[in-house]
Amino acid sequence: MAPLLAVRNVAKRYGAVQALIDASLEVSPGETLALIGANGSGKSTLSKVINGVVAPDGGQLLFAGRAVRFGSPHAAKDAGISTVFQELSLIPQMTVAENIWLTREPLRRNILIDHRTERRRTEELLSLFAGTFRADLTPDTPVSALLPDERQIVEILKAISVNPRLLILDEATASLDSRQVQRLFDLIGQWKTQGTAIIFISHRMVEIEQIADRYSVLRNGQTVGEGAMKDATAGDLVALMAPEASGGAIERRRLSPDDLATRRVILQIDDLRTGILRGVSMRVHEGELLGIGGLKGQGQRDLLLAIFGGIPYNGRIMLDGKPVHFTHPRQAMKHGVALVPGDRTGEGLLSIRSILENLLVPSWRDYGFPLRMKRAHQNASVIAARLDLKMAGLDAPVSALSGGNAQKVVIGKWLLRNPSILLLDDPTKGVDIATKAEFYRLLTRLCDEGTTVILYSSDDEELISLSDRLLVMHDGRISSELAGASLTTANLVAASLGVARRETP
Amino acid sequence: MKRPTISPPLAAVLLAMALFLLSGFLPNGFGGNLDVATAQAINIVRLSVFLGIIAAGQTLVVISGGEGIDLSTGAVVTLTAILTYTIVSGKNEQVLPALLAVLVVGGLIGLLNGAGVAFLTISPLVMTLGMAGVVSGLILVITQGNVSGAVAPIMTQLIARPVLWGIPGAILIWAVFAAFMWLLLERTTFGKNLFAIGTNRTTARLSGINVTGMIIATYALSGMLAGLGGFLVVGNTGVVHIRIGEPFLFPSIAAVAVGGTLLTGGKGSYFGTMAGALVLTLITSLLTTMQMQESVRRMVLGATLLAMIAIYGRQRGFRQ
Repeated sequence: MAPLLAVRNVAKRYGAVQALIDASLEVSPGETLALIGANGSGKSTLSKVINGVVAPDGGQLLFAGRAVRFGSPHAAKDAGISTVFQELSLIPQMTVAENIWLTREPLRRNILIDHRTERRRTEELLSLFAGTFRADLTPDTPVSALLPDERQIVEILKAISVNPRLLILDEATASLDSRQVQRLFDLIGQWKTQGTAIIFISHRMVEIEQIADRYSVLRNGQTVGEGAMKDATAGDLVALMAPEASGGAIERRRLSPDDLATRRVILQIDDLRTGILRGVSMRVHEGELLGIGGLKGQGQRDLLLAIFGGIPYNGRIMLDGKPVHFTHPRQAMKHGVALVPGDRTGEGLLSIRSILENLLVPSWRDYGFPLRMKRAHQNASVIAARLDLKMAGLDAPVSALSGGNAQKVVIGKWLLRNPSILLLDDPTKGVDIATKAEFYRLLTRLCDEGTTVILYSSDDEELISLSDRLLVMHDGRISSELAGASLTTANLVAASLGVARRETP
Repeated sequence: MKRPTISPPLAAVLLAMALFLLSGFLPNGFGGNLDVATAQAINIVRLSVFLGIIAAGQTLVVISGGEGIDLSTGAVVTLTAILTYTIVSGKNEQVLPALLAVLVVGGLIGLLNGAGVAFLTISPLVMTLGMAGVVSGLILVITQGNVSGAVAPIMTQLIARPVLWGIPGAILIWAVFAAFMWLLLERTTFGKNLFAIGTNRTTARLSGINVTGMIIATYALSGMLAGLGGFLVVGNTGVVHIRIGEPFLFPSIAAVAVGGTLLTGGKGSYFGTMAGALVLTLITSLLTTMQMQESVRRMVLGATLLAMIAIYGRQRGFRQ
């Protein structure tokens, strides 16, 4: 059968980052294609190219045999390509029915919205998932009142309400429970018999094996393999996904498991639970660089925030042998814990304020009254010099700095306080290579000086090279602990997909 | 790219000076007479003091961000002016207790505003507007429409009359007050944290700042400063009526904006607000001297506000 969609040699660059180099795939009517790849391999970019959210720099898209170029998601939708987005695209204030039919409302006399028809059609759609959500969910329920899984279902219904020829499911199962996933798979089976083509993006290998007919693997923006699912094992796919270690960029002597065992446990966490975390336990040693890996959104952010007192949690945390339960970052800060958050501009910086003020936000209390500005200036200068901050001056606004230099400011504000535990949420995201190397040297030095570092990164290579020990998270749990000889990219990728179980050391 | 930019407070001061010079050419202006000019300038500054001090709390609340605004200012000024009037009753020894009382009452009202904004997450606009209604109603209930009392001689002496080298006490009070405001904003942890929460509350919280506490403290302080404003206003006029604070509400917000404080929070200064108060007072008195009607005065004030904000908005670094 002729493919419904053929993507040929697509490339896409975002600034300095080449997200896609040479990506290709084909999907035929009535077929489910699994698009798989590690973090940053270009899956999301490729799906955005297909549904018209981003314009490719090069390559070709053939839809139903004709070359197409979608200028907007709307154009793609009109052509019959519908996407269930990973980041939910629903408007919380509107009802389920309003959201599903937004911009495509059934009309009476061409101007008035026909609410009765809208309701009826919404009920038909909801009946597809009947029994898997709460009984009081009706077309008139506002989306803000829905649970995350119910929102995801509405999102799926919205995507299929246009009767698409091609349906892209981008991590659509992430927030669904097993019963809902099973229902979705039953429905996918039905849609396939009606000739719908499906591109399925998921981080759960089990699901991929169950639902996909064919697979296409992306690695570093390139399509490195494709074929029929029945001919491939999970191991084969993992091998395709794991990037070759380029090595050399990072030099750090890893602490051996024996060495670690002799060190004091500075942080002990037992059965930590939040909305996303489902019972995380771990021990961290003094001066250790503990890596946290896994695909994005598996609870890494919640783990770091909970330790820092930024979000409420259940469970036990022992710091330096004493039980603590921080309800505000200020308390964590007083105990020598620091967090470099994942969203630099949104959570780490005061963009319109000066570099000086950004460096001193957590520390003003230590400067007396009236604030000793000269000392503040001196201390900030020392940190700026230590981090080799490239700036016009301490009074320049922090918004004038490049991504890497801005991140140095976020780290610098905590270094001013000499933290004993430094938590980092993907600190090298959007940072240039030279600055990354500086970070690696800095983290190495901090650990040598006795600071404990917990680093989550979406860059697998970085984690493998830097970590003394690596915990891989999957679905709110720690799926695997890698140390010593098991600390390899292949193991990390496998664990990220939930292939391996946790080995008890 | 380097463009000559001028800071908003400086722009407002220059505008005030230009307006003042312009006023000299009016038929009944000071012309070339330096003594008259000085006297007029002092008078304008004296008139600006009350708006300037009432707008101080507004400045803090606007800087604190989160669509911060205090619409209860006018009502609090009225309430505290009446309180001062009745507590003092013409006795000098009652002045300090009255001052203390208005600070406490203003502070408590502000505290409620802050608690509503921080804990109940009511938008500042709605919370303080509602509070303005409650306070206004309270004034009517308590006074039944008429107020008895008097200000003390010492208040008139210190606020309305010249104290030093022919400079009225009000201006001296304002100078000291301005120094305190600068200290508060630029040289205290509170000030630094205020700018931080006004810029980005998530960053502020993740940097260890108690954002909730800061919001409540800021609104409480705004209430206290409005209370101080009420005290000074009645000390200046010597009489009180149940609408005495109302005319200050809109100008107090306008002065903050004209002074270049970012209405979205996180950036601003009290000097800017002082310059803004000067500009607004000048325009009002200029138009009054020109015998313009109230309606025209309002239109010109409104247009000035729009023009200044439009100019600031075009400056680099002033936009986010």
